[in-house]
Amino acid sequence: MATGFFTDATLCIGCKACEVACKQWNELPSDGFVFSGNSYDNTSELSGTTWRHVAFVEERAVAEDTVVSAWSMVSDVCKHCTNAACHEACPTGAIIRNEFGNIFIQPDVCNGCGYCVVACPFGVVDLIGHVDPDGVLYNLATLHDDRREAEQTALQGSGGVAGKCTLCYDRQRSGFVPACAKACPTESIQFGDVDELRERARVRVETLQARGVDASLYGADDVGGGIGPLNAFFLLTGEPESYNLPSQPVLPSTRQAHGYAAGALAALALAAVGFTIFRGR
Amino acid sequence: MNDTYYDRPLLKGPHWGSNVVTYLFLGGIMGGLGLIQTIAGSEKTPEAIRLRRDARYASFALAVVCPPILISHLGRPERFLNMLRILKWRSPMSLGVWGLVAYTGAAGANVMRELADEGTLPRWMRHLAPKVLNPVQALLGAFIAGYTGVLISATAIPLWGKGKTHIPAASVCSSASGACALSSLLSTLGGNHTVTRKLERLEMVAALGELAILRHFRTHAGPVGAPLFEGERGERFENYTVVAGIIAPTILNLIGQVVNLPKPVDAVRTILASTLTLAGAYVFRESLIEAGKLSANDPKAAHRQPQ
Amino acid sequence: MPGLGTSMGRGGATMWVPDLQNSDCILIQGSNFAENHPVAFRFVMKAKERGATIIHVDPRFTRTSALADLYAPLRSGTDIAFLGGIINDVLSNERYFKEYAVAYTNASFIVNADFKDTEDLNGLFSGYDEETRAYDASSWTFERNDDGTVKSDPSLQHERCVLNILRRHYARYTPEMVERICGTPRAQFLQIAELIARNSGRERTTAFAYALGWTQHSAGVQFIRTAAVLQLLLGNMGRPGGGIMALRGHANIQGATDIATLFDLLPGYLPMPSALRDEQTLAAYLKTNTKPTGWWANTPKYMVSLLKAFYGQAATAQNDYCYDYLPQLIGDHSTLPTQIAMKDGVVKGYFVLGQNPGASAQNKELAMAGLDRLEWFVNIDSFETDTCAFWKREGVDPRTIATECFCLPAATILEKEGTMVQTSRMLQWHDKAIEPAGDAKSDLWYFWQLGKQLQALYEHSTDPKDRPILDMTWDYEHEDEHERRRGEPSALKVLQEINGYYTHPEEGARQVKTFGDLKDDGSTASGGWIYTGVCPDKRTNNARNREPNDTTSLGWGWAWPANRRTLYNRASADPDGNPWSERKKYVWWDQADGRWTGYDVPDFPLTKAPNTPAKPGAGGLDAHSGSDPFIMMAEGRGQLFVPGGALKDGPLPAHYEPLQSVVENQLYSQQSNPVMREWHRPDNRYNDPVDEAFPHVMTTYRVTEMSGIMTRYIPWLAELQPSAFCEIDPDLAVRHEIRSGDWVVVSTALGEMEARALVSGRLRPLRVASGQRVHQIGIPYNYGKVGFATGDSPGALIPLSMDPNSSIHEAKTMTCNIRKGRRTAYRAGVVDADVPVSMRTGHGEWD
Ligand SMILES: Nc1nc2c(c(=O)[nH]1)N[C@H]1C(S)=C(S)[C@@H](COP(=O)(O)OP(=O)(O)OC[C@H]3O[C@@H](n4cnc5c(=O)[nH]c(N)nc54)[C@H](O)[C@@H]3O)O[C@H]1N2
Ligand SMILES: Nc1nc2c(c(=O)[nH]1)N[C@H]1C(S)=C(S)[C@@H](COP(=O)(O)OP(=O)(O)OC[C@H]3O[C@@H](n4cnc5c(=O)[nH]c(N)nc54)[C@H](O)[C@@H]3O)O[C@H]1N2
Ligand code: SF4
Ligand code: SF4
Ligand code: SF4
Ligand code: SF4
Ligand code: SF4
Ligand SMILES: [Mo]
Repeated sequence: MATGFFTDATLCIGCKACEVACKQWNELPSDGFVFSGNSYDNTSELSGTTWRHVAFVEERAVAEDTVVSAWSMVSDVCKHCTNAACHEACPTGAIIRNEFGNIFIQPDVCNGCGYCVVACPFGVVDLIGHVDPDGVLYNLATLHDDRREAEQTALQGSGGVAGKCTLCYDRQRSGFVPACAKACPTESIQFGDVDELRERARVRVETLQARGVDASLYGADDVGGGIGPLNAFFLLTGEPESYNLPSQPVLPSTRQAHGYAAGALAALALAAVGFTIFRGR
Repeated sequence: MNDTYYDRPLLKGPHWGSNVVTYLFLGGIMGGLGLIQTIAGSEKTPEAIRLRRDARYASFALAVVCPPILISHLGRPERFLNMLRILKWRSPMSLGVWGLVAYTGAAGANVMRELADEGTLPRWMRHLAPKVLNPVQALLGAFIAGYTGVLISATAIPLWGKGKTHIPAASVCSSASGACALSSLLSTLGGNHTVTRKLERLEMVAALGELAILRHFRTHAGPVGAPLFEGERGERFENYTVVAGIIAPTILNLIGQVVNLPKPVDAVRTILASTLTLAGAYVFRESLIEAGKLSANDPKAAHRQPQ
Repeated sequence: MPGLGTSMGRGGATMWVPDLQNSDCILIQGSNFAENHPVAFRFVMKAKERGATIIHVDPRFTRTSALADLYAPLRSGTDIAFLGGIINDVLSNERYFKEYAVAYTNASFIVNADFKDTEDLNGLFSGYDEETRAYDASSWTFERNDDGTVKSDPSLQHERCVLNILRRHYARYTPEMVERICGTPRAQFLQIAELIARNSGRERTTAFAYALGWTQHSAGVQFIRTAAVLQLLLGNMGRPGGGIMALRGHANIQGATDIATLFDLLPGYLPMPSALRDEQTLAAYLKTNTKPTGWWANTPKYMVSLLKAFYGQAATAQNDYCYDYLPQLIGDHSTLPTQIAMKDGVVKGYFVLGQNPGASAQNKELAMAGLDRLEWFVNIDSFETDTCAFWKREGVDPRTIATECFCLPAATILEKEGTMVQTSRMLQWHDKAIEPAGDAKSDLWYFWQLGKQLQALYEHSTDPKDRPILDMTWDYEHEDEHERRRGEPSALKVLQEINGYYTHPEEGARQVKTFGDLKDDGSTASGGWIYTGVCPDKRTNNARNREPNDTTSLGWGWAWPANRRTLYNRASADPDGNPWSERKKYVWWDQADGRWTGYDVPDFPLTKAPNTPAKPGAGGLDAHSGSDPFIMMAEGRGQLFVPGGALKDGPLPAHYEPLQSVVENQLYSQQSNPVMREWHRPDNRYNDPVDEAFPHVMTTYRVTEMSGIMTRYIPWLAELQPSAFCEIDPDLAVRHEIRSGDWVVVSTALGEMEARALVSGRLRPLRVASGQRVHQIGIPYNYGKVGFATGDSPGALIPLSMDPNSSIHEAKTMTCNIRKGRRTAYRAGVVDADVPVSMRTGHGEWD
């Protein structure tokens, strides 16, 4: 059994309550105050300190004298992949699959090598830089001493570790629903047992399709590339690319065998040449 | 609907800077030296033995400097030790760390043997480094020379993923040619001219192999290869790595093989060729990393990730 | 909220939020529901999931539009034309709910023959006086029979019956006209009209939801009236999933209006005594304000009980219950005139709490320049607000300001106990969760302590003019020892007093259970009759209730009046008392039991049978029959036509252009609301109507991520919308070479502001009048100079003007120009930095 998320774009009102609730619960700092000019999205992406991110998809080319009819939003998050690239890549064992079947980074084990960052096919996990020495970005939300001591948060003073959604490991352990799901006013984010969620998602997508909505599931089944199903999956309208979700993600470790073989072959060839050169005068 | 999200990157690029590039460069040479000490050791001439000794000393020296360079990029250097908590077959970085540790051990033992043979250390100590450590260092060296290529191609970065065979193979070649270059340099400076010619022959083969792989990679990668092969970075890569780092030293080395130059001139030629090769090898690593960052920023490439 | 009050009887939302899930169609117009009321919006989503059709009509395509089934654009300020068009459609195609309209509204009433409509007078009603810019409403009345009852024609044949007047009034509001005025494509308009008509009637109900998009206009009250007329015609009032959902603003704004921040109201919507009317004695006041028929016949009970609550033992029948202690109005003391009076040196001291006009006021510079001239100024807030920092604002030299400022720390919601009254008129109690930080105190603390200190100061006074202070009941000692030591009063005791109690000592201060028990003989006291029942005894606080259920959740919180969820719910049954349909069953007459029953608290005398005839000449509710559901109204009917000048700008809504508009009124030669309030003066300049220098429509609003200071200071929210911005359509952007993220300057005759451009196809130019292309520019008003997310606020560009009925500013529609770049120096139209110090502080020749 594993827990996870079913995030439904057709129910999302783009209120960003999930983003804020996540930051508040996890005591994450703001990422700075940058006006992007891209719709209502100013946090722009998931980062080491933004673990939920609401994408705002606007039609960019609107013909004259037409009325716009769509503006889609969806709340992105770590996918807690069945075969998780970050988990495989991590050389320290900081990234584990916990008792809830979630991909969890143990901040006290992570050494900041950054390999998970480049491994993730969804661009989710990132290193947290030095955390706000003058408290500007934190302001009201200063890190709670108890949490810091219990090393429950990625933000242990100096930063330099990887950060991503913990699936509210601490809340789940206490029997609470993750903060983002709790805050969502429209149940666009549904938390629960993934098998059950998958079932619900399939029913939902059928209902919507019957209503003529161009809806599809992303990650409820195997996304391909060796990754398998995602434990945080989505219901989207339109193409995944427009939400910055890869249409064809790949589990990078599947390339290793080729790599080692090619390297070994090259080394063997060169060794053979080398021996020939040195031995045969 | 839109085919990208406001052209924003989909992936996160590497947080890797010059320290990692330096590690990739020096580590590769270190690995290459592991090969050379074995190959050279297969010949019993005093020149070859001297070459083996030099290669062993040099590789051990690099094995000593590499970890600190590697560690320097970690946010929290003291946590390098966390790498040693586990061994993970699926993680090239984990394997690489253990490889590095093992290589350091083998190289250290082989140096000890050299020193014991020389008499600097008590003679009995040579028994602490059995002969098998010689090929072991070569195998580990080949691994070190190649795993960094596997490490970067087993990521989501489209350019790197696209080069899943090319990058490891080219890394091995580049490491080998770099190691040859460094060895020729040391030999020439130490007056050990006879082996230099041989080293240069091997270096040429490695360099030409690398060139062939890179050329093939370019066509194979198509638009995904753009960050490495096109634009400003592509030019730098072409000029420094391909022209100055592969073609030029190969020509110089060829001249060395066919024309009998006066000794001092020949020494200058070797020094020049070796320096060019080494510089090219550095820029190769640098270009890979930097182009990887650009590649991560290209959402179109990232949506359809290479298998 | 006179728009709803004059139509149905009470100035509150007629339904409660969760009831939206029972709607078959929801028209959201004049509100950005999803963005500004996201939690309530879940019920709209539930309705949608149950198959309801959601429609959004707004100048901009917003997050609400994104979730709606159908979106239609319109030019800001033209909603009367739009809804009037639907009324015309419904009437001319006979698609209204005839049985309902005839029985429950004044559709059949015969209007006085002297009455002239806007159709007759080209945009004016009869009785207009050019000089005073006001109406004499004596012709806006009904013909009456000898027994005083209104003449009516239930067959709706009489040419002067309200329905036929309505027909003629809206006959020219055709789809073509709607397109000309609103810019809404005809096809979309017709589709919406069709959906609304199809989802109304016996079996189905449609709800309307609005907020500021309808109120902040020079005819805002009439915007809401148009909706009320339509909903009454369609038979959607008082029924499940039907009605008008007025979405209120600040968390407790409903409570603030109930108990009673408006200058002209006492608690419970009793009018404030006025020196301008004959109200010098209690008897005179009651004569003016007691309606002989309908619920307001009870006014004396509520007023006397209120005075008893204010003045306790001191209030006796002999002294008119201290009625003369109450101050009397001598003019319009609403916010905008007060700001002007401050600027003109008339007002000398000002309290600001729970508000930040330094960012949110219209003609912000005038408002702030008013503060410059005060003798003293008190600000109670949890942050240093833009208002609090007025003396160091841009363009002003602090040395020129002599105002003495007191900035006092306010406890936040989590740091104090009390009730909040939300948009469903529901009181919900909240406990104190943590101790206030530092010296912060609750607002209650400040006022209680202030009262105590005043009483102490005057303790030995024998001067009669000090009696109001000495006689006021002020006994709110906290039950809890810790709070008592901190000097906090008991919010519960305040609520219990508002609920009301028996004053006779033998009663032992027993609580009054319902407002039906209130008396006008001094035996009861109640600080706000509409809340009677929330604390029916000393141990019960119904605002604490937290028991939801599947229907009306009567066990959750407590809604006034009498814990009723849907107002006027007698109308959910037909005249005979049976549900209009099984599907829309809600409150009905139980013949066996001889009483009204149902899922909600019936909004009707419980045992008054449907067939009870009206008693001509009787007072109170006896004047109504058993099938007159709008008990607050004199005639017991919903008012399609508002008689007698209850509204200052007409008995029927007519389309006027906003004061500052880009086009001429396509319907009448009267351009804008003839009785709106304007101030033509150098520090309050208006753009001329149809002025080429200001060719674009500008509107202001808020965004989910921001409210004001409270959000600008919170990094998590500030990063979400970090900078003041301005939304423009791509065509306009191309014309000015503006790209998303560029700086732009928006200007009006009054001033300039700068913001980052957000170019978006969600805004589209509209074709109006004879094909003219109109661009609309949207600017969130939430920004100011302090906090992490900062920027200019559009208040600097908007001159003061007022709706004649509600005194609300026209901040939703004006005209402007735009250019790429940054603004240079601060230009506010008001401040002249060269004025000598003495003049700036209000002691110079300016006075
Ligand atoms: N997140 C957040 N929520 C809030 C607040 C906040 O600051 N932030 N403020 C609260 C307060 S105080 C209030 S009063 C409410 C206000 O709630 P709303 O009324 O929903 O708020 P606004 O955003 O001011 O305006 C609503 C919409 O009216 C549109 N509009 C402008 N002119 C017209 C017009 O002429 N006709 C029509 N049909 N629409 C028009 C605007 O484009 C805008 O989308 O929100 C409350 N909720
Ligand atoms: N152009 C334009 N202007 C507008 C509007 C518009 O749509 N367009 N909307 C108008 C509307 S509807 C409104 S409601 C106003 C809103 O404008 P304001 O009410 O001026 O704005 P807020 O920022 O909500 O101010 C609330 C203040 O109360 C403080 N506060 C919060 N809780 C408490 C408390 O318990 N006690 C005390 N003492 N203080 C507290 C907060 O810190 C904050 O400073 O703006 C109006 N101005
Ligand atoms: S989405 Fe990325 S970070 Fe999350 S589990 Fe999958 S690979 Fe790891
Ligand atoms: S950064 Fe931390 S979590 Fe990521 S791979 Fe390295 S050690 Fe593991
Ligand atoms: S589950 Fe918790 S950590 Fe993950 S996004 Fe939601 S709130 Fe953040
Ligand atoms: S809280 Fe829910 S509705 Fe709001 S943005 Fe997040 S997912 Fe969407
Ligand atoms: S801010 Fe508060 S009142 Fe407004 S929607 Fe959110 S929870 Fe409700
Ligand atoms: Mo408001």
